Amino acid sequence: MSEQALPRAWSLPGPAGLAVVVVAAVFVLLFLGGVGFGSTWISPDTVLSVLLGGGERTDRLVVLQLRLPRVLAAAIAGGAIAYAGYLLQRITRNELASPGVLGVVDGAALGVVLFLAIFSNESNALTVPVAWQPLAAASGAITAIGLVFLLSGRQASSTIRLILFGIAIAALAKALTTIFMLIGPIYQAAQAARWLAGAVNTINWGEVQIMLAVLVPVGIVAGMAARNLPPADLDDVSARSIGLDLPVYRIFIFLLAALLTAGAVAFAGGVGFVGLIAPHIARLLVGRGRVAGIVVSILLGAIILVGADLLIRVAFAPLEVPAGTVTAIIGAPYFLYLLMRKDNSNG
Amino acid sequence: MTILVESIGGSIRAGRSRWPVYGALGLALAFAVLASLTLGYRLYGLDQVWLALFAHDGSETATVIAGLRLPRALIAPLAGAALGMAGVMVQTLSRNRIASPDTLGLNAGASVAVVLATVVFGVGSLVGLSLAAAFGALVTSVVVFGVAAGAGGLSPLKIVLVGVTFAGLAHAVVEIVLTSNEAQLQQLLFWLSGAFVDRPISLFFNGLPVVLAGAALAFGLSSALDALQADDATAASLGVPLVAVRGMTFAAVSLLTGAAVSMAGPVAFVGLVVPHAARSLVGLRHRHQLAAAALVGAVYTTLADVAARFVIYPVEAPVGAITAVVGAGTLLWLLRRRLA
Repeated sequence: MSEQALPRAWSLPGPAGLAVVVVAAVFVLLFLGGVGFGSTWISPDTVLSVLLGGGERTDRLVVLQLRLPRVLAAAIAGGAIAYAGYLLQRITRNELASPGVLGVVDGAALGVVLFLAIFSNESNALTVPVAWQPLAAASGAITAIGLVFLLSGRQASSTIRLILFGIAIAALAKALTTIFMLIGPIYQAAQAARWLAGAVNTINWGEVQIMLAVLVPVGIVAGMAARNLPPADLDDVSARSIGLDLPVYRIFIFLLAALLTAGAVAFAGGVGFVGLIAPHIARLLVGRGRVAGIVVSILLGAIILVGADLLIRVAFAPLEVPAGTVTAIIGAPYFLYLLMRKDNSNG
Repeated sequence: MTILVESIGGSIRAGRSRWPVYGALGLALAFAVLASLTLGYRLYGLDQVWLALFAHDGSETATVIAGLRLPRALIAPLAGAALGMAGVMVQTLSRNRIASPDTLGLNAGASVAVVLATVVFGVGSLVGLSLAAAFGALVTSVVVFGVAAGAGGLSPLKIVLVGVTFAGLAHAVVEIVLTSNEAQLQQLLFWLSGAFVDRPISLFFNGLPVVLAGAALAFGLSSALDALQADDATAASLGVPLVAVRGMTFAAVSLLTGAAVSMAGPVAFVGLVVPHAARSLVGLRHRHQLAAAALVGAVYTTLADVAARFVIYPVEAPVGAITAVVGAGTLLWLLRRRLA
């Protein structure tokens, strides 16, 4: 089975290959546009030359110091959450699964809020290096998914149970987050509320570097682990009967998805619905091949968040509306449409 | 997922008088309201409360009790009663015990309507806000039930997913509106997590007729709802006009949810928790379910409001955060029990 499936999964058939190229091109254009747009417009070719090491001094300053961290953070966070969504949808063989629905996003957010509440001094400065923040997010994310697994009990392989418990855990985490936010000073709470809604506007280079340092290794490991994902068109019973439904492997994939989500949420906040939509559109575009599916999911996640961030800067500037609001407004109707279709499982 | 529908015969306690239950609930409510008047950042004696309410002498104590404590001691039980009754009807309508105004997104819809009405359309009057909230809840309930029906029925999974989606959508809309109105952010953030603090007493007198209208409609529908509880075919054979009853139930649910949200903001999961307690006390007849849910809801939110003053003392927590923790725990427990 796997010998038969491998070559098909790892080769890029014509239409899928074309889709990958088109999506990548859209991403590059949007990225250049995202960096170029602002109080002064910097044309894409200037942005490109700055990124390649040339350009004028002022352009370099604006692009590298002011705009690039924000756009890069949006791309990384969107890509990571989409990657996590892809893994979760494939391992559960259900297109309704996502980091948000399974409680991972709210768990990570609770971890960060607790971290900020515990390790802030009177003047709102952190008493420990900010590099620990992803660890806090990861603890929260792993606790959440762990609880979902434990509560689902022996039937943890039933996706419906996982999602129902995930939503309950998410509600619990959200309520606790609200309470902990109120313990802090008022203006910090307002900041935190903005962050919780998914905002990338305040991210700096140091945080981008931490995101990359966390997410790149996890992403590579996840890519290697993804080779053993069961084929998407397999139903539960057959998967189990040919030994693909190993509990340890499932837990490993869930763990990786939690870490990817935590790395994104730690600085970019709770970005809604990206992890749900991106893998879904990716499958519509490139079918069920794994490499193409992962690459296109990541690119689409990045496109969605960079695009959302660009949109709010165009539409609401100078106000800083969180990018997560746009992804939620686009994502929610799409999710309702998915729910309205009668058959919600892949298998 | 029909396991979520209890067999009707099972838990009706025919013959046994329910008056002791109502008596106990009434006592509990009186106790809760007194606790709400006396306990808080400052503790007052019953004599001080009595003096403040019936012989207002203009002292600071009297002003705090009459101006700050009394409104919340009245609004909390009214909102709780409204949400409890709305929860009963929603659970019957969807034949699903984990349905509630929250899991269906009705609270979220009402919140969006209130925020939009305030900020975008400049509605300042309390009547206008109540109408906006009820309208938001009504639109959401029609959309949600439409979506769920289109999805081939209301499985628990779909119900909670639809609710979560609407809550996310509502949150996004509210966030955008609030970002462009920085000044109102903090106040509305607190309101949006559900709270009874700093509510003018006029909100109570404004909400009361709406709740009474919703309750009257609900009790009028109670025998039709009894029939609807089983399944559509049974209800139809008993001569229940399904479409009309559903429509009027929507209206009652929207009035009750809208009134509660306009008074207190979306107080989370009250409509999920309360009907379960009510059913275990008085059985499945809707006349009794609704009455008990109103009383249990009133007691529950009033006590939660008192608890909210002490959990992160001296800061006051939004009562919605308290009920959300309790509600999420209850949801987990219900899921464990029903799906085990």
